[in-house]
Amino acid sequence: MAIDRDRRRTLSALGAGALTASPLARAAEAFFPGPPPGPRSAPAGPTVAVARRPGLVGARDVLDPAKLADGLGAAVARAVGESSPVDGLRRLFEPTDVVGIKVNCLGGAGVSTRPEVAHELARWLQAAGVPANRILIWDRSDRELSAAGYTLSDGPGVRVRGTGVDWDRRLTEWGPSASRFARAMVEDLTAVISLGRLKDHGLAGVTLSLKNWYGTVNNPNKLHAEGCAPYVPHLVAHPLIREKLRLSIVDGSTGQCHGGPGRAPNWDWPFHGFLASTDPVALDTVGWRTLEAQRKRVGLPTLAAEERAPRYIAGAAKLGLGVDDPARIEIAEV
Amino acid sequence: MARPRGPSGVNAPERRMFLAQLAGSCTACALAGMGPGDAEAADRGRQDPAMGLTSIEEGGLNPHPARWYEKLPDSWVQCGLCPRGCRISDDERGTCGVRENRGGTLFTLVHSRPCTIAVDPVEKKPFFHVLPGSVALSLATPGCNLWCKACQNWEIAQARPEQIPTRTLTPAGAVQLARRQGAPLIACTYTEPVVFAEYVLDIAVAGRATGVRTVMISNGYIQEEPLADLCQEIAAYKVDLKGFDPVFFEEHCGGKLPAVLDTLRRLRKHGIWTEIVALIIPTQNDSVAEIRDLARFVRDDLGDEVPVHFTRFHPAYRLANLPSTPVATLERCRDVAMGEGLRFVYIGNVPGHPGENTYCPGCGEVLIQRLGMAVIRNRLKGGACPDCHRSIPGIWS
Repeated sequence: MAIDRDRRRTLSALGAGALTASPLARAAEAFFPGPPPGPRSAPAGPTVAVARRPGLVGARDVLDPAKLADGLGAAVARAVGESSPVDGLRRLFEPTDVVGIKVNCLGGAGVSTRPEVAHELARWLQAAGVPANRILIWDRSDRELSAAGYTLSDGPGVRVRGTGVDWDRRLTEWGPSASRFARAMVEDLTAVISLGRLKDHGLAGVTLSLKNWYGTVNNPNKLHAEGCAPYVPHLVAHPLIREKLRLSIVDGSTGQCHGGPGRAPNWDWPFHGFLASTDPVALDTVGWRTLEAQRKRVGLPTLAAEERAPRYIAGAAKLGLGVDDPARIEIAEV
Repeated sequence: MARPRGPSGVNAPERRMFLAQLAGSCTACALAGMGPGDAEAADRGRQDPAMGLTSIEEGGLNPHPARWYEKLPDSWVQCGLCPRGCRISDDERGTCGVRENRGGTLFTLVHSRPCTIAVDPVEKKPFFHVLPGSVALSLATPGCNLWCKACQNWEIAQARPEQIPTRTLTPAGAVQLARRQGAPLIACTYTEPVVFAEYVLDIAVAGRATGVRTVMISNGYIQEEPLADLCQEIAAYKVDLKGFDPVFFEEHCGGKLPAVLDTLRRLRKHGIWTEIVALIIPTQNDSVAEIRDLARFVRDDLGDEVPVHFTRFHPAYRLANLPSTPVATLERCRDVAMGEGLRFVYIGNVPGHPGENTYCPGCGEVLIQRLGMAVIRNRLKGGACPDCHRSIPGIWS
């Protein structure tokens, strides 16, 4: 069992493993012309699955349930290299895991991870064998979860709650900072999914899957200097996150290309899709480009021109958290 | 994952921590004839709705319109309280973690919501030239705008307000509580009063009408306008000058040293009684050159009669690996500062050291003899030396 888990982690870390004959590996081989890499070669580039379903966001900002299931499912399945989201999640998670789905609810409804998306994922986790009472959908506060449309629950079934005052007593030093982690992250969860939102961030440039982890420490307000560049990479590199992170997803049903992280309705647009990857750096790289493309469409300057390019993505790559070189990332439109 | 909750709805460990803070650092229990073991009783006794003093509440936020900020497009705001000038998106907070943008309006979340209330000797602040031997009702709300690696109170200073048990205490209630405890002073302290400046200001206004004076124990990281507003109402300001090397200050505290020096100059301009504390950390900020520069700045820019306290560091927070400051280092700092002409230089956190005493710069005699936080003997007569009649600066009555 331990070997299986290590293998899964290796695959997860690689995004596309040279040791497997999965569709992901085949895609990676196609991406890199020439003979397939041997076991000691540099790992193949990761895959970022992008699933767009026109009409996903309907009137009054309501998601079409069938398109949600189809689009999100296709993204998750492709990101993991399986034929269905349930098979994909079964590959990443054990029935004995306690799985946390970290959503981003800053800004309230309209600019937060949608509850329907998080719960769809939770349903597939259950279908993959993870009992409902071992699944937690969480963010930093009950208030923010409620404002984003979540119904709080301590069970039975899937739990939905904010970490609130429930912080680990110990001070954890990491990179340039020191924090208290959410107690759930320290004591309870054995595996986590980052489920962020596709949006701009006025200080950091963008907030997608990597920066979503700010919601797991008690002092995010202390971590925004220098565009978050010194902080995001080291935080995600902390073993409490890095060793538990199996999958990263961005809810792109609606994106917001400017004015974030709070809601700025003038700058949102229906992207009608989802992005998913086992490589959070690659995912954020693609998400950033997606936001830049929309900024260009509406006549906004680039984030670099506004001196807020998300430098933390490159920093995360340097720490070995994933790949930020677009040339090495396979974007799989599914 | 649910934790046991006390009758007030507060997680039991959190409530115990709050009570420990009350009992551990306060003389209120002693004044009331209670020991730390009676903290629960003390807590019950402090639940007095007439003073606006409520029981401990979990995650209690009290959104109160902030005073110093500017509105920006797209519902952003720019805080004008501290030199960071945080640009804050809707639903986000500034670096301090206690000022939140809600729909384009900035709120302080900690007004009237202290997390710690105690009655301390004024010498603990330390103020050595303000009503020696008196006590100060001392309070703090969560939060700070710096993140000093040696922070002694990081559990409350580096937290967001919803993470710390607090209670409601209105400004008028604070004044009433101070009077009940026989405290002529209210000290805004422990964390960083700059981040609860609106509360400080309202306390000071409420206290002025009844003769209770308000003092701040602060890092001095504040912009000009809010400082000017506070200086209209407060009686004294103690500045923690955490170092005199800008690089050290930025790396150690996450701030810019010149802003603190500006605050000190402005306090002088406003005529606010000011004392300075320099926490001396071994190998970090204890060089002779740095201490000399600090002393010269005080002498030349503030005046040679501004008291300077060199206090002993003890391992804490992110500097738990360092030893306590050798007493000899503090003595060297004192010698250097006095050699540069400063008149009132103290050694702190070394109970019984002669450097705790106030000496007359005229004749050299002991004027105020201290032992730790206690005043053993106060020989001042009308704010002057009884022997040579030299006037001693401070607030003596």
